[in-house]
Parts: sequence; C-alpha cells; structure tokens
Amino acid sequence: MSEQLTGGKHFGLATRLFLLCAVLLFILAVAILLGLGAGSSGIDLREAWGALLGQGEAVEQTIVRQIRLPRVILAGSVGATLALGGLVFQALLRNPLAEPYILGVSGGAAVGAICGMFLGLTPFPGVSLAAFGGSMLVLVLIILLAGGQAGFRKDSLLLGGVMMNAFCGAVIMFLLAVSHSAQVQQVLFWLMGDLSMITAERLPTLLLILPCFGIILALARPMNLLLLGGESASVLGVNVRLISLLLLATTSFMVSIVVSLSGLVGFVGLVIPHIFRLILGSDHRLLIPACILGGASYLIACDLLARLLSVGGELPVGIITALIGAPLFVFLLWRSGR
Amino acid sequence: MTLSSQMIQRSPIFFCLLTIFWVVPCVGVTLGLQTHQVTDPLGRSLIVPVAPVRVVSLAPSLTELVYSLGREEMLVGATLYSTYPVAARDLPRVGSYVRLDLERIIALRPDLCLAVKDGNPHHVIERIEALGIPVFVVDPISIDEIMTTVVALGKLLGALPEAKALAADMTARIDRVWTLVARADHRPTLFFQVDAAPMISAGDNTFTGRLIRMAGGENLAAGPTQYPRYTWEDILRLAPEVVVITSMAGGHQPEDLIGEWQKWPQIPAVRSGRIHVVKADFFNRPTERLVQGLEVLAALIHPELFPDFSDHHLILGATRP
Repeated sequence: MSEQLTGGKHFGLATRLFLLCAVLLFILAVAILLGLGAGSSGIDLREAWGALLGQGEAVEQTIVRQIRLPRVILAGSVGATLALGGLVFQALLRNPLAEPYILGVSGGAAVGAICGMFLGLTPFPGVSLAAFGGSMLVLVLIILLAGGQAGFRKDSLLLGGVMMNAFCGAVIMFLLAVSHSAQVQQVLFWLMGDLSMITAERLPTLLLILPCFGIILALARPMNLLLLGGESASVLGVNVRLISLLLLATTSFMVSIVVSLSGLVGFVGLVIPHIFRLILGSDHRLLIPACILGGASYLIACDLLARLLSVGGELPVGIITALIGAPLFVFLLWRSGR
Repeated sequence: MTLSSQMIQRSPIFFCLLTIFWVVPCVGVTLGLQTHQVTDPLGRSLIVPVAPVRVVSLAPSLTELVYSLGREEMLVGATLYSTYPVAARDLPRVGSYVRLDLERIIALRPDLCLAVKDGNPHHVIERIEALGIPVFVVDPISIDEIMTTVVALGKLLGALPEAKALAADMTARIDRVWTLVARADHRPTLFFQVDAAPMISAGDNTFTGRLIRMAGGENLAAGPTQYPRYTWEDILRLAPEVVVITSMAGGHQPEDLIGEWQKWPQIPAVRSGRIHVVKADFFNRPTERLVQGLEVLAALIHPELFPDFSDHHLILGATRP
C-alpha cells in the first residue's frame, strides 16, 4: 500500500485518494464486523451477523444490537475524532507532540466530569454535559489568552494549554485525594477511557461531529500551507488568524463531544496521524480521510481487545490504545529511520 | 438429521423423551414463567417470576444470602469475589460488582437479577431493566435491615420459611451479644484498621462501625466519614485500648500487620497485647456471617464476658501481653 500511495509520481491525487479510501474502508469494515461478532460472552461471527439482521435468539439480538453496536459506533467515532484532532493540532502548532488534548480539553473535561460524578449526576446527560462544559470553558480561556497577540502565537497556545492541563491535573488529584466517595472507582475508569456507558439513545449526540469533519476536510489545502509557517501562508493568501481560530474551535468542539461520552482515551490522537504521515507524506487532503477511517478502525479494534481481555469486568480501552500504539509507533519510526 | 427423524417415527420412547426434555421447557419459556408484582426494599415495584429459575447475583453478599436460603440451584451467575461459600467460586462470572459486564449478564438469560443499591452502578442496573430483566435492588444499611433483606429475598425466591428461620437465628444471636455486653461497665476504645497504606478505618456509617458499637466498643473512627484516613501521629494521640485489623489490609501477612504496631509501645493496645487480625469478610458484607463477626468483635473487646468464645479460627493473628 505504502509504495503505491507515496509514489505520487505515478498516480494523480484523485487516484491515490480513491485507493487509500478503498483500502481503509475495507479495514474499517473488517474491524466493525469483528467488533460486532465478538465480545465477553463470545458469540461467533455468523450468529452475530444474523442477530444484527434480526434473526436468531432474542438474547443474541439484544447483545449485538443494543450492547455491541452502540459501542462499535462510539469507538469508531471517538477514534476518528481523536486521530483527526491530533492531525489538526500537529499542523496548527507545527509540533509533533501536539495531540487532541493539548489545549486542555482533556483537563477541563475531566474536572467537569469528576465534579459531576461527585455531585451524583447521572452519566448522561449530567456528567457528559459537565465534561463538555468544563472543556469549553478551558477552550475559551485559552483562546482569550493566546488571542491577544496577532495571529495566535503558537508558543503561547501550546504553553497555555500545557499549563491548563497541569492545573486541571492538580485539581483532579486534589479532588481524588480528599474524596471518600464511592465514586472514586468510576472516576478512575473515566480517566482511563471507558466506552461501556454508551446506549443507543445517546448515539445521536455523535452526529454533531460530522459537520466538524466537513469543516476540517474543506480546510485541507490551507492546512498544507500552514505547514510552511504563518508568514509564508499569509503571503500565499491564507487568512492565518481566521483559519487557525476556525480549526482550533472546531477541533476542540468535536473532541469535547467525544470526551464527554467516552472519557479520556489517550494516544490515538498521537499515534494515528504520525503513522499515516510516515506512510503518506504530509498532504492533508490524504491525511484527513486517512485519519478519520484509520482512527475509527484502530479504536474499534482496541475496544474489541479490551472486551475480550476482560478479567474483572471490562478493561478501560485507554490502556489498550497505549499498550499497542506506543510499540507500533516506535517500530514504524525505527523502520523509517533506516 | 435423517437419523433423528427416523428415530422420531420409529421410537415412541424417543418421542416421549423429546416431549419432556425439549417441548415442555420450550413451552415454559415461550409462554413465560408465571409472574407477579413485587416491591423491592427501595420501594420500586417490579414484575418478577413467581418461581425464578435463572438468577444472576450482582454482589458477593447477595450470592452468599442466596446460598444461606438454600436457593443456590437458581443461581446462574455471580460477580467476582463471590467466594463464599466455596461452591460459589464455580459460578459463571459477570464482572465485579462495581464494574459489571452487561454482555455476560444478558448472555446468561436471567429471569431475575439481584443488586445492591450501594456499589452496583446505577446506570448498568437501569440498562438491565431496559432490556426487560427485572432487577431486585436491596439496600441493607442498619443491622436490622439485613434481617428484613433476608426475609424479602426469601419471599422473592420462594424460601420464606428458611428466611424467617435464618432471620430469627440472627436476631437471637445478636440479642445474646447485646445482653452480655450490657453488663460491661467500660467501653474500651477500639481502632479498626481496614487498610494499612494509607491507614484507613471505618466510621459510623459502615457495618463495621455499627458492629463495634453493638459489641460494646468505642470506635475511635466514629464520625460521618465512612472510611477516614489516619497517620501514626493520629493513632498515637488516639491511644486505642484494642486494635482489630482485617486480613484485607493491603495483602500483607498478619505478622507484618501486627509488627507495624509493635514499633509503638506507647500505644496501650500494644502494651497490653490486644492487637488482633481477623478475616475481613465477616465485617463488611451484610450477610449471616456479619453476626459471627459481631460475636468475634464482642469477644475481643470484652473477653471477660465471653469465656465460652470458640470461633478462634476467625482470628488470624494476635499479640500477647
């Protein structure tokens, strides 16, 4: 795949895009099928497929349609959003270590969610709204903080975000340390990323991320120019300030949505964009669809593993994403360096 | 396929067996078991089978109670740490009680789930109910409520006589401890160590806290906080006369747990050799065994009142003066 796609001299952009999407859609389809076909109660693939279409025993239908299907959809959406979020922030801040949580979205959401849990709010919409509110509050603070200078100085954005996350981290530790509440376990699972809370009724919330994907796709070309640096981009006719603000707000918004439903799933946003950059180069017109499809497949697969490896109840998916992602990424880095 | 159809035609015995083993249960399932409306201890009314046949217990204490009532043949699943009685260890697992595995619960096709209000996540209970499985939620807070829970479960599982007998036995044993403890003229101060690092004790709103009071002790961790934390500085000031440590405390050996205390001879309990290690299950699970825990605690706090104490196997380690 990589030779065909990186050998851009032989194929035009449209052909490469088509090939890339075909391959990634196939992988995504396999991931979804496996995700629906296997779980802690261990039903086989064919039965699961039948159950999805409304055949087979009522219990199997319930398990596949009402427990696994919402989870697979959530995992796919979260994976796509986080991978895309990572890609955008890495381009915007021109920093390879940037990830979707870099602006304090995670910290703000976590403080919001934990306060919600300790106040005894219901997971949905109570805790989700609290998490969303927390991250939006942090985003507004960061934009006000960095927006004072002309054109969003990327250093102040980055530092502001890191500081905000550190501060929120301290608040979280403080809340956990002083709490004697029985909710502590719930909080820990939320911080590790937990896809088990989702139900079919909550899925429509995820529709909000689709327009965000559209906006970011439309900004693929300006994003390529942003890589050249702010000044060169504005010489080439890009309204750097407007584009940056739009990307920042859109990305943070969609990440906040998924975080409010899934908790903090780490590492997807860091590893998936870098893997595709190693394979595809730096054209965002290819990288954006690749991150959406690849991120979705990756998290669906990780969630499947989390469900299969369950020992005492399910493992939080955030553990799996890092356990697999970090070695995979180091391997690719090592290979590309040779 | 052809073999079995031939057998049906040729063998009346096979046909009878088929009817008994396949058709009858199927009719039972498809027609639905006979159901009726009950109210659980939380006051929620739910429709449950009159005679449930597939029950999943969502907490170790509930598993234990179902066994105490002799209805273990109904159990088809239980949570992790459902380790008592030993037979319960073989039940299929459905996650831990704080982290339930919804898919496994549903896959066991239960006609009834038993849950605890404090511990089982609310949203999972709601989802099980949304999927059409009744969940009977209990919430025993005081010691008396354990007895009413026992009776409610007995009624639910068709074991009312057994439940009443069990509750009466528990009440009688508690009353005996009460009567004996009432004779004591002094309530020794007690520090109950639940965990070693950090040092954690149990406040008033826990079964342990209530047991300490009933056993005639003065709980040094009394207060609204359920599981308050302590430092050695606090403990030296509190100067407990008796120390009871549960085996759960951080997975340490009883000798090690006691050894930590013996570094502080200033503490009265250390001087008088009144440091005891006991099994945790008897002090934090609202079951029949809690009464045994009460008896142990009373005997440790007031040894002079319980000369015939015999449950020494529950004490894993102790110091002597």
